[in-house]
Amino acid sequence: MIELDKVSKVYTTKTIETTALNDISLNVAKGEFLSIMGPSGCGKSTLLNIMGLLDAPSNGQVKIDGQNISNYLGKPMAKFRNEKLGFIFQSFHLIADLSVIDNVEVPLLYRKISGKERKEMASRALDAVGLSNRKKHFPSQLSGGQKQRVAIARAIVGEPKIILADEPTGNLDSVMGDEVLDILKYLNEKEDTTIVMVTHDERMASKTDRLIRLYDGSQVA
Amino acid sequence: MIGNYIILAWRVLKRRRFFSFISLFGISFTLGIFMVILSFLQSELGDNKPLSNKDDLVFVSHIGLSKPYHDTITIIDTVFLEGVEVYDTTYDIKSEGRSMTNSPFNSSLILEYFSDLPPVERYSLFNPQETFNVYVNGVKLSIDATFTDHNYLQIFDYKILEGRRLSEVDIQEANPVMVISTKTAMNYFGTQSGLLGREIELEKQTYKIIGVFEHKARFIPYFSPDVIIPYTLQNLNEQYSYYFGKHFIIFDKESSATTQEVKNAIVTASDRIPLDHPDNRNNFETIEMRLMTFNEIFATGIYYHKDPAKGYRIVKWIIFGILLFFILLPTLNLINLNVSRIMERSSEIGVRKAFGANRGNIIFQFITENIVQTLIGGIMGLGLALLIIKILNDSGWLGNAGLTLYPKFFWYSFLATLFFGILSGLIPALKMSSLHIVKALKERTI
Repeated sequence: MIELDKVSKVYTTKTIETTALNDISLNVAKGEFLSIMGPSGCGKSTLLNIMGLLDAPSNGQVKIDGQNISNYLGKPMAKFRNEKLGFIFQSFHLIADLSVIDNVEVPLLYRKISGKERKEMASRALDAVGLSNRKKHFPSQLSGGQKQRVAIARAIVGEPKIILADEPTGNLDSVMGDEVLDILKYLNEKEDTTIVMVTHDERMASKTDRLIRLYDGSQVA
Repeated sequence: MIGNYIILAWRVLKRRRFFSFISLFGISFTLGIFMVILSFLQSELGDNKPLSNKDDLVFVSHIGLSKPYHDTITIIDTVFLEGVEVYDTTYDIKSEGRSMTNSPFNSSLILEYFSDLPPVERYSLFNPQETFNVYVNGVKLSIDATFTDHNYLQIFDYKILEGRRLSEVDIQEANPVMVISTKTAMNYFGTQSGLLGREIELEKQTYKIIGVFEHKARFIPYFSPDVIIPYTLQNLNEQYSYYFGKHFIIFDKESSATTQEVKNAIVTASDRIPLDHPDNRNNFETIEMRLMTFNEIFATGIYYHKDPAKGYRIVKWIIFGILLFFILLPTLNLINLNVSRIMERSSEIGVRKAFGANRGNIIFQFITENIVQTLIGGIMGLGLALLIIKILNDSGWLGNAGLTLYPKFFWYSFLATLFFGILSGLIPALKMSSLHIVKALKERTI
């Protein structure tokens, strides 16, 4: 589903060159739940950003769903992200001025879907994360776990084949973290969604199909 | 999608109240003033009554006689040192120029030379603003009389509410009649109707009222008469000279002619006026006249240029520049405010882009938000403009002129508002839409 071939990422400033990723080759199979671990600054998020087409590699090739996305730019890139990928962030990144259901609707705004259909799809996604009774609430009225569940609903509303989660339980206590992981597991097992999750938490990682470890930008396990 | 943006715009406005207050104040104040300036220009320059056909008119108030002069002034400089003249010199200062005299026209001169110009459909001679003081119930009332002919109320299309205009017979027979304005009717009689046949006495002459016209105030003098009287009732033998008298002329062009053709015809006609008349005591050599359309009269009031047409063009650019400045200055300010406001929302931009928004989507969103905001400001501005106009009209600071906010200004202002909204949203939107997603997402949020 995701194929990385000798992917490197180098950040260059005037005085310094930092290698964030070094020659990473990796295959994530369709329907796999992969977790990525490693100390802070080892390149986990950079790797996830490259898989999510949020950042471009300095070298190497990225194939997603069989398509080489190296040549994608601008609109085609945006369309590809919109249709194939869903994102979950550690700090939720909900839009404060939008209600829960409007937040969930965001990815659908960039597709040709009627307002009514958008609302129906967003409601179904909220049902799936158990938040159908919070549709009209605003993010500031929710707990951390609820916010992350809204973020998951937003990630799945467009029915993407891949979900990329950057420390989705990092800001949550263990109970809420388990709830979130259970939802991800459910999506992976029942919906056959491919999930790549960055985490610091060995316990969470142990619940996934496969674990890779990064150290100083290189894959070590 | 656009519905979501509009709702979002409203929520953003509500949440950031101080920012919203500053932006809305800026927008509404600017548009308010913009609309007041437009209504002033419209009331002065618009083709509204009594100047519905103002662009067909050429106006000339004075005839001038001129000749060149050459002067030499000699200065003798002498220096005394201990009582002895040690140095002396002379300077000659030569000066050249034109010596000129001018005045309104003698009515006979108008009849003889300007009454039958080919590109002119009709003309009127008139002597405006002869002020008479009358006492009504012991209260002094100033009445500005315009002495004129039967064409005056054809050219200036004041609405006749009662009775009739002056007729050719009234002029030929010097009938002691007058047409009065509603303002004068109100001040003099306390009513605006049922006045036909009643009389007003001005300096021992009694005039019978034959018509009432609707008063329209204007800022330019000469064209807001209180009463209109046949000019043949004036003592025309007491005019100053063969050339000079008390009358202005207004020419109304033929529909197929241009005002420039009218101006050319007037100049050609003036060439026939003899300069060897005994009244030309100073042997002036040239006849000069300042021929102006109405827009040029207005422009001359602001900026005098020898060529009225050029003066009008300059004034037009000055006014355009001022209006543009009025719109641009707060726009720049708003751009600045918007950049910082949108910066706060970089996480939102990151999320939207991650979930598939392209640059166009982001730009469209922020422009929509800005248009919503400026439209709210626009409506407030309309209210402000109405308030300012009411205060100005009630206070009488503009003299005779009364301002009206015409519906079309709402649309002009609507366009100005859109311009405002798009411009002040575009620059921040362009800037923010190119933000790198990863950087945008580094902003911490809820």
